[in-house]
Amino acid sequence: MTEHTVKAYGDELNHLTAEVARMGGLVEAQVADSIECITRRDVPLAQGIIVRDDKLDVLQAEIERKSIKLIALRQPVAQDLRRTVAAMKISLNLERCGDLAKNIAKRALVISEAEALTALTRSIERMGNLVTARLKDVLDAYTSSNVNRAVGVWWRDEEVDEHYNSLFRELLTYMMGDPRMITSCAHMLFVAKNLERIGDHATNIAEIIHFEITGEDMISERPKNTAL
Amino acid sequence: MAMPAPPSPLQRLSLRLLGLGCVGVLALLILALTGQAALGPVLVMSALVGGLTVWLALPPRSGAIGQVSEANSASARPSQPISPPFETILRSLPEPVMVIAAQEIDDLAGQRIHFANAAAKDFFKIQDDGALLITAIRNPDVLEVVDEALFGNLAGEVAYELGGAQDRYLRAFVRPLGAALDGRRLALLMMRDETNARRNERMRADFLANASHELRTPLASLSGFIDTLRGHARDDAAARDRFLQIMATQAERMSRLIDDLLSLSRIELNEHIAPEGSVDLSQVVADVVDSIGPLLAESQVQLVLDVPRPGLAMAVGDRDQMVQVAQNLIDNAVKYSRGRGPVRVECLTNLTGEAAIALREPRAARLALLTPDDVNDGRYVCLRVTDSGPGIARQYLPRLAERFYRVEGQKSGERSGTGLGLAIVKHIINRHRGGFGVESLAGSGASFVAYFPVQPEA
Repeated sequence: MTEHTVKAYGDELNHLTAEVARMGGLVEAQVADSIECITRRDVPLAQGIIVRDDKLDVLQAEIERKSIKLIALRQPVAQDLRRTVAAMKISLNLERCGDLAKNIAKRALVISEAEALTALTRSIERMGNLVTARLKDVLDAYTSSNVNRAVGVWWRDEEVDEHYNSLFRELLTYMMGDPRMITSCAHMLFVAKNLERIGDHATNIAEIIHFEITGEDMISERPKNTAL
Repeated sequence: MAMPAPPSPLQRLSLRLLGLGCVGVLALLILALTGQAALGPVLVMSALVGGLTVWLALPPRSGAIGQVSEANSASARPSQPISPPFETILRSLPEPVMVIAAQEIDDLAGQRIHFANAAAKDFFKIQDDGALLITAIRNPDVLEVVDEALFGNLAGEVAYELGGAQDRYLRAFVRPLGAALDGRRLALLMMRDETNARRNERMRADFLANASHELRTPLASLSGFIDTLRGHARDDAAARDRFLQIMATQAERMSRLIDDLLSLSRIELNEHIAPEGSVDLSQVVADVVDSIGPLLAESQVQLVLDVPRPGLAMAVGDRDQMVQVAQNLIDNAVKYSRGRGPVRVECLTNLTGEAAIALREPRAARLALLTPDDVNDGRYVCLRVTDSGPGIARQYLPRLAERFYRVEGQKSGERSGTGLGLAIVKHIINRHRGGFGVESLAGSGASFVAYFPVQPEA
């Protein structure tokens, strides 16, 4: 990349990217922990996630503030402008992922009071691993400015959706089989939905990265089936 | 002839420092040679810190050490041990080692990877020295201990998990290195891969859970028949023969189950290490077709082969494991096609991941069960096995590769499977960094696609 005449400007841009990457790391950890507190019924971990979510909100606000300040003072154009806007938009998506992880942790607190549903938590864990892998891929693509990796994540969103649909059916069977499990299963259903939406945010981030680097929108139509 | 001049105070100091470094280097070498895993990290860390202080504190790096060794060689003694340059040793260490430099606290964009050895560059995909730390490592816990080492002079260690298709567990050790000459703070970051240990632990638990659960059914039936044979069927020759036949089948099923569980465990153990061999997929298919000759003859299923001549479908892989993939897929196809129609086996070369799982039949449902990281860039050799079975409804597709998963209402014939075949296939392909997909139309058969990275032409 060409260097900026004003060194501070380049530093500010790098700083912004670094902040987004740090926020990404935090969100990755939050999402991974939220899945773990579901599978291991770990109450202290769940409480920790809920507390740590505040930090994400602060980071997001800070990134937004810095981006706006950078736009106002340096008036970036072309790639620099895309980079600034991308940082702002990605941080918004990440903040949403953090909220969803917090919601999963809250539900984990409720689920941990009921009887264990081993088979179900295993399905949730599988879906969770898939989603965290997507999140990791897309953040790797961001820090290494690799368009192809981002496009790869975008293409593979279908897998997460399929997992969600299959979990939905599995949960219905359980609920019909034993009405006493409906409370836990309903919470599990929301957990699955939250994971699916974290996957959607990962594809959003992939689109933002694509625009940041190439300056063009993703045009081709993604293979999609009817989601619920 | 002039006598060598006595060393100046400065030289004496550097010599002493070098001596310290040498002790570190030696400790390091001994460790590398003996492979003391238990004591390893702590000793290696102290050795590294000792050596690094010398190496980083003497500017310019190579010059200073070079001069000192010249001074040494002036009073050359034949028994003097030859120590290779510290940097070379660092670079060739098998575990990732990095030196982090930072300007001021809370400036993320100022924390840079001052030095990374080959293992670190490879593992964290670091392009060049001076890259931002945050581009390589995002884990908040690791960043925190690095911060503490840089600005609080505290040593620390933290275990963390690296998500992704192939799980990795790492332990990061951080030691403060003080300030460099230009005022930047330095810290040493070293990683140890604990994936194997964690995998072993988890696998033992999984194996026990699976084995105890899945073996219970055949075991219960065995003990039931034993009771019957001891009791009222004792003198009934016809019943005894029938029961023994059933017991033999159950025992055989149990042993197949244990075989499959063990082979799954073995594959999982090495899943994070990509294979390196070169395998001809056509040859693999030919071998499998030969080996299932008896099954084909017995089930009277016709096999249609569409395979390029040997040498054209070369993949990067482990031959035995690829044979297992082809064997499981073709076995399954033959089982489900019995009495319904032919099985088609095709090998395709030089496809992108997207093309490999492209739909053949527009009305069919398609699902990628496993997708490699570089689905758009990489080139793949692809094995496609199409059966003439009843097909699988769309809603069952996502769970196909789960262990012990069975599609409701489906029977795989008398010789029922263990429910692990496709799970094994998926794990092998994941190890090969390939992809796995299924296409199915209820009522007219399913087709499974496994694709492996192409062996680049030499």
